[in-house]
Order: sequence, then structure tokens, then C-alpha cells
Amino acid sequence: MPAAEHRIAAPVTPELRAAFPGPLLDRFLAAEARLSGAGYGPAVPRGFRRAAMRVAEALGPEAGLELARDASRMAIRLRPRTAALYLDTAAAVAPRLDMAGFELWRGLHLDLLRPAPEAVQPLLETALRLLDRLTPGALAEFIRTGLLLTEGDARGRVAFFRLETPAARQALARQAGDIGFHALEAELKAFHTALWGQVPLLREAAEEARQSSFSDNQIRLPASYPDYRGQERRIARAALAHVGAHQTHGGERFALAQLKPMHVAVISLIEDARVETLALRELPGLRRLWSPFHRCAPEGAATAPSLFERLARALFDPEFPRRHGWIAKGAALFDAHRDRLEDPAISRRMGNLLANDLGQTRVQFNFRDHLVRPVYRDDNLGLWELPDDPDATPETANSAPSEGRRRVSGAAKQPRIGGGDLTGPESAPAAQAQRPRRLAVLHLPEFDHVAGIERPDWVQAHLYDPVLGDPLYLDALRQRHAATLARLKATIAAAQLGRLRRLKRQAEGERLDLDAAIDAAIALRARRMPDHRVYEGRTHAERSVAVHLLLDMSQSTGDAAAPGHSVLDLERDAAAILADAMARLDDRLAITGFSSDGREDLRLVPVKRFDMPFDLMTGMALAGLRHGYSTRLGAALRYAGRSLSAEPCHHRLVLVLSDGEPSDIDVREPGYLDADARRAVQQLRTRGIAVHCLALGGGHDRHHEDIFGSRGFTRIHELKTLPSMLSAVYLKMTG
Amino acid sequence: MTLDAYRLTAEPAYHPGGAEIALYEAAYQARLPVMLKGPTGCGKTRFVEHMAWRLQRPLVTVSCHEDMTASDLVGRYLLGPEGTHWQDGPLTLAVRHGGICYLDEIVEARQDTTVIIHALTDDRRILPLEKTGELVTSHPDFQLVISYNPGYQSVLKNLKESTKQRFCALDFDYPAPAVEARIVASQSGLSEAEAARLVRIAERTRNLRGQGLDEGASTRMLVHAGRLMRTGLELEAACAFALITPLTDDGAMRSALTAAVDACR
Repeated sequence: MPAAEHRIAAPVTPELRAAFPGPLLDRFLAAEARLSGAGYGPAVPRGFRRAAMRVAEALGPEAGLELARDASRMAIRLRPRTAALYLDTAAAVAPRLDMAGFELWRGLHLDLLRPAPEAVQPLLETALRLLDRLTPGALAEFIRTGLLLTEGDARGRVAFFRLETPAARQALARQAGDIGFHALEAELKAFHTALWGQVPLLREAAEEARQSSFSDNQIRLPASYPDYRGQERRIARAALAHVGAHQTHGGERFALAQLKPMHVAVISLIEDARVETLALRELPGLRRLWSPFHRCAPEGAATAPSLFERLARALFDPEFPRRHGWIAKGAALFDAHRDRLEDPAISRRMGNLLANDLGQTRVQFNFRDHLVRPVYRDDNLGLWELPDDPDATPETANSAPSEGRRRVSGAAKQPRIGGGDLTGPESAPAAQAQRPRRLAVLHLPEFDHVAGIERPDWVQAHLYDPVLGDPLYLDALRQRHAATLARLKATIAAAQLGRLRRLKRQAEGERLDLDAAIDAAIALRARRMPDHRVYEGRTHAERSVAVHLLLDMSQSTGDAAAPGHSVLDLERDAAAILADAMARLDDRLAITGFSSDGREDLRLVPVKRFDMPFDLMTGMALAGLRHGYSTRLGAALRYAGRSLSAEPCHHRLVLVLSDGEPSDIDVREPGYLDADARRAVQQLRTRGIAVHCLALGGGHDRHHEDIFGSRGFTRIHELKTLPSMLSAVYLKMTG
Repeated sequence: MTLDAYRLTAEPAYHPGGAEIALYEAAYQARLPVMLKGPTGCGKTRFVEHMAWRLQRPLVTVSCHEDMTASDLVGRYLLGPEGTHWQDGPLTLAVRHGGICYLDEIVEARQDTTVIIHALTDDRRILPLEKTGELVTSHPDFQLVISYNPGYQSVLKNLKESTKQRFCALDFDYPAPAVEARIVASQSGLSEAEAARLVRIAERTRNLRGQGLDEGASTRMLVHAGRLMRTGLELEAACAFALITPLTDDGAMRSALTAAVDACR
């Protein structure tokens, strides 16, 4: 009898009897015996005994017994070791949760066994850390986010659930409800812009960064200040205002020359005080923002960090007692120069003097561990002309996992343009390095105008999974095209207000149309026949619009269109702006990039499908588009038409952005693809789907007129106007 | 019927920011139509009022809106007990009797409405009344003034080129800080130091124009805030009440503006 055998191996202790009273004990022993006999090794039954008792204590015996089945499923689908870890973890988390929470927690792990088995082990490893900060409900959200973000990348998934990636920590912070950088970003940006009249490029600093930092074009704020939980908003504002003071009142970067570290630190300290003093003259309220962070006492050890912090406070706060001789001297020196603070060079002079004094007192100074205090001040790197590009280090440490982001010397000096990539010869290898996945194959007909027949299933189209590009693309776009976006927003808002339309001269309606009534009265007097339509109605103009936007990404769209921008870059921006406008209007939009490599491979990249929201993923997919191959327009039009057919909307429209005439490698015959595209356009129009093309750049109108008809296309000569023109054309077309 | 009701009896206070008065007077002497461009609340309407008072002309003001029809400007037949009779609209009144007609925010009106001013704004100076068949020739003192706010400008709402090119244009912006502080002080009764602080705050909001706000705080708003402070309200409360809350509904933006106000005081 197996149970009896086992009783010898693992005795029934009084604790066990207490946890599983009466008949429950037998059920426990039977479950334990099953685990022992299943060949999972000794760790699993041992773990079960421990865990079942702990869980039974916390949540009742039934919950404890359930673990046996969980453990065998884990052991079968994964490894016995994972099952043992599961049991240990369950024992640890059970006391923290109620019954419903615990069941949810178990379910979350068991549900992963089939779709994402690789996620289970790392999730168990981090379970306690996760539950420290998340409720089981929030944990479920966190897991869902993780699975979505790491779709198709098993190694990335393991790293995510081990909390090793920035994305994971961000997701955790978001689910935990921390006020992180991202929650504050919009507000901080507005705050900075309001104070200094410059739109800052704000970034979250690398994980380990403990201080803010700035370079000529970028401000990096730490994700959090550990000692200031709950004051995130205040400290971020203080830090940003300090950087703003530097940017507004600072001069050229100081030359490093042969300065000792101590000198660098003291000069920076004086410079901090100088720019703050100037900023306070203009914005006296900043004193209230900064002063809570000056916390040091007037006395303290004569170490460099303590002296620095006290001097900083003495320069900020004239009331602060100056007990130490060096501080008294520094403050007096600063006071003596108060009427000449506009000149940055005095920071250098005063700092040199003070650092020399301090050097003679043999105060030890360790530059590597030096943290600028008070905590809201930046790391001072932005003040100095450093030998190596100082921006490169934090930038690369901070860079999000985006393809095509390269260290370009001097790139940090100017705002990045384009979708996370500068066009150039290097972008092609980047595209090849990360070959997109093919999602599906479909077949499309093609028209042979010479034979006069339509060949069914002639073109083989492949849907490619979008390569995800720069996650910050939409942010950058919003900055680059702020004016266009604001204008569109205002236009749309006005259009929506004006949605209530007055219908004049109606045969029936809610009230008299005064003009029509008067005309009728006049007609009666004049013994003419009056018009009987004298009523006025009001109606909501319902929008019911679906648009499929086709982006030509053939090889030629890699050509430069404007300085630093390729045609595809402009298409990308135009598409994003249109998507933004359409999202506001609640119009339905799909975006597909297309190119072709012969009739066997019409390459379609579904950037956005009709049922997807316009969000970060759309931006990343747009940013990831790469140029290459040819233009088989007709087939792409048919694909767009097919997807639109399923859309239940009154107005259906295919918009094409293309920079040239159709062409492909396997077609020698001139006019063949033109004729096919024309046929596709006609077919779509007979099905009630409008087609309009934005022809980019100069070139012959003949092709486009041939394909789309003389009113079926708009030529954009000035390519750089494309981003605003596309939406304008769209709004005009849909009223 | 004359335009006596439209005459200004007291001088509307106006602080010139440049040569606009001389320029306007020159345009009036030549009877050229004038266009005033500038953000809302920067003193365009006040300027026209001031000029009408200076020139001793009646001022007929029409605030344009998108439902406005041509009839709303030129007039219409009304149904009376004796049948129909013609009622001049505000524009026709000014044309007939020699007033200054001021079409405020002209782009708000539909484009087909605005073309009726074309014949008035070239050397014909006539207003054809389609419904009566009358051709009204302008009174020698008549002048047309329009205003528009380029900030609202959009692909759909823009002045037609053919309309634009008929006007002389004056660019308005918020006055220089010192001037604006004087205006706010004199209009609200605040001390100049307090008014200057309000102006500093306004500059902060104007920095956000196009970056989350459609418009910064106007001079008018500052005067409102100043008047509230005269009643005893604290600066912070007055700014929240008269500036921040009207300007934006966005939580982050309000929070940022509140912090910016705080930095200024």
C-alpha cells in the first residue's frame, strides 16, 4: 500500500494533523504519495508538504490541497525544479493574499504553461518583489503587458519577467502606480516651456542615474529620486527649473584645460549659485521651490561633501550661518560680485580661488563618488567642454532598444530627425539585419492589357510583420510638427462643433425658414407661385469614413527630399499626422506600406489595421518602415480595396502616397503596370471605393492622370509640405 | 436713419505700442480698408474703438460666426403687417451713412459671405444688394475694418487670397512688458509693480502658445485678474480664476501653469 510506505518516509506530525484535520489528512497523504510516485524527484513532494501546510494555515486546507495538482502540471509541462520553486513561492505568497487573490495568482501562472512556458520560471523568481508592489490584479496586467511586448522573443521574455529590462521596470512602476517620469513628462515639459520659453527635449535618464543631467539639446531626469518618494513632482520641477536656469543664464561651456577635479567641482558649485541667483531675480517664486531641498546644518565635519553642501546653501540662503571660515569666505566673495553675476567667467575666477584655499587645507576630495548636492541640482557635466563626447555615454546607456539608433558623433548636438534613423547607406543593412517576419500569404489578380484578360491569383502578396522602430518617434513627431498638429486639431474641433447643420428650404422641418417664408410671401403678393419649401431643419452630419492609406516604400523613396529627410521620412510623418487627425475624428484608418520584388513577392507591411488603435505601436511600426524594391501599384490597390470591402462605412477611400510610376523587376513592357493599376482603380470605384493619389515630387503627370484620372490625384511639388498637405487633402475630401 | 446710436461718447483708453495710430489715420484719409491681425485679447477691438472716437466716426461692429449669412450683413426683407419691407443690415447701414464697419474675426464667417465685401474694398466702393436690386454707393466717410487671428488659421479657415489683398494690414501683438504693465495697472487699478508681476505670469503662459495652449493669456485676462485682486483676492487665486482655468482643461497643463505662476510671485 503506497500510502503506508510513504508514512514511514514522511511522518505525520502534529502540525500536519492540525493543518489537515480528520478526513483531509488522508487526502493530503494521498496527494503527497501521488507526487512521490510520479518520479519528479524528492524536492517536489517535500515542497508540497511545506507549502500545503503554510497555505492551509493561511487560507484553509482546501487551498493547500489544490497545490498538488498545480505542482504536477508544472512538473510535466516544465521541469520538476520549477514545480518545486512554484511550491516554495506559493508558500511564501499565500500569507500575503486573501483567497481570491491567491487563486488569481495561481491561475496566472498555470495559464502561462501553454502559451508562454518560458515566462513561468522567471516570474516565480521575482514573485515576491512583484507582489511587494502589485496587487494580483495589477500583476495580471503586468504579465499581459510583458507578453505583448516580448511577443516572439523568448529570451527577451525571460529577461522581462526577471525585471532585467528597462521596459519591465517601467511596466512595473506603471502598474504599481508610481508617479514616474512618464506620468509627469507632459506637465514638466509645459512647466519648463512656460518658465523659459524653450521647448525642452526631456528624457528619462539611465536607470542608475541619481541626478539630472543636461547637454546642449537634451535634459535627462532620473526615473525617480529614491529618498523622495511621494515628492516626485516637486523634485522634478526643482531639478528642471535648475537646468532651465543654466540654459538661460549660463554661458559657453567652461574649458577643462588642466583643472583639478576639486576645482571643477567648486567652479560648478559657484556657477550653480550664479545662475540660480540670476533666475531668482526674474522668478522669485523659485526660492520656495528650491529651498526645501537645502537641508544641511550650519555645522558639520570639514569634509569636502559637507563643505560643498553648506557653501551651496550659504550662497542660496543669505540667512544661513557661515560658521566655517572657507564658507564665510566663499559667501563673502560671492556677495561682493552680486552686481556682476551676468558674466559666467566670474564663476571660474571665484571657484579657482576657493578651490585653491580648500586644497591647502588638505581636505580629501573623491571626484568619482562626488554627488552634487542638494539633490535637485544636475551633475554639472553640461557645464564643461569634456574631451570625449560626454553625451554619448548617458545617451547610449539610456537608449531604448531601437534598431537603427547609432552613435553618430555630433548627433547629440542637434535634435534627431527622421524616424529613429538617418537615411543613408547604413539603413539598408539595418533593415536586412532584422529581417521582418512574414505573416501570411494571399493571392491577387492582375490585368494583362495586351491580352485583355485578368489573370486570377497572379500576384503573390506577403504580409510582413512590421519592424518596430524608434519608440520615441511619435514624441519627436509631435515636437517637429507641433504647429501642424495644433492647426489640425483646431480645424477638427471647429468641424465637430459645426456638425449640427442647418438645412434650409425644406419641405418639412422643425421651424419656418425665415428667408424662404419671406420669399413665399413676396411671391404670393406678386401673384406668382410660391415655393412650398419654407421649413428649416437641423441635422447631425454623421461621419462614416474608412480610409486605407498606402505608403509607397520602393527604393526611390529613400532619395533625399528635404535636407536630412528622405521621401519615405516625409510619407511617414504625413501618415502619422493623418492618423492623429483621424483618431480625433473617430474615422477608421488602416496604413499599409507596400513595395514589390516581382510578382511572387508583393511586400505589404500592415503598419496599422482598421481595428488597431493609433498608439505607440503605430508610431514604432511607422518608424520601422524601410525603403527598398519596386512599386507594383495595382496589386497594392487591390489589397487595400479588399480590406476596405469589409468596412461598414458610407465613405471608403484608398489614399496612395507614391513618388513615381509603377514598375517592377519582372515587367519589361512599358504601360503594363499602368494599365493594371488603372484597371484596379476603376474596379474599386465601381465598388464605391474612392481612390486618390498624392503624387510626390516633380515628374510627369501623364502616368498619374492615366491611372487615377485627372482629378484623382494631387501633385505635391514641395515635398516638405507633404505632412500637412496629406491631412488637408483628406479633410477636404471628406468634408 | 442715422448712426447716432453707434457714436462713441467717451474716449476708449488705448496705449499705442508703435505707429499704429498714424498708420490708421493715413489709411482712413485714403479711405483704404484695414485688416488687424493679432491674437485674441491684445487690443484690436479697443484700437478700432479708439480710432473711431478719434476720427469722430460712428462704429458698427459685427462679430462674425460660422452661421452668418450674407443677409446678416447686408440686410433682408422682413414680413410686416403691410407686406414685406427691407431692413438694412449693419454693413449696409455703415455704407449708407458713413460709419466705420468693423467685422470682428472675419474668418469665422463662411467664405461665400465674405466675398460680398469685395466690391466695397476696391475703388468701386459699392455694395450691390442682390435682393432689392439696389447698388449702394459708399458714403465718403465709410471705411471697412476687419480683424482676424492668425492663430486660428487652418487649412479650412483662411482668408481667400482675393480678400486678403484688398486690405492694408496692421500686426498686433501683446504690448511690450512695460507698456502692458501700464495698461493693466491703469485698467485694473493695481499698482504697477503688481501689474508687472501679472505681465510676467502672462509671458509664461504665452511661452506655451502652440505647445499645449492655443493662446497665451491675453491683456484682457490680465486686466480681469487685476480687477479681482483689487477686490482683495490673492494673486494665486486670481490667476487660477481668471487665467489658468479659462485657458486650459488639461490637468497637466494646469498643474504646470500653477507652478509657473508660483515661480513668478
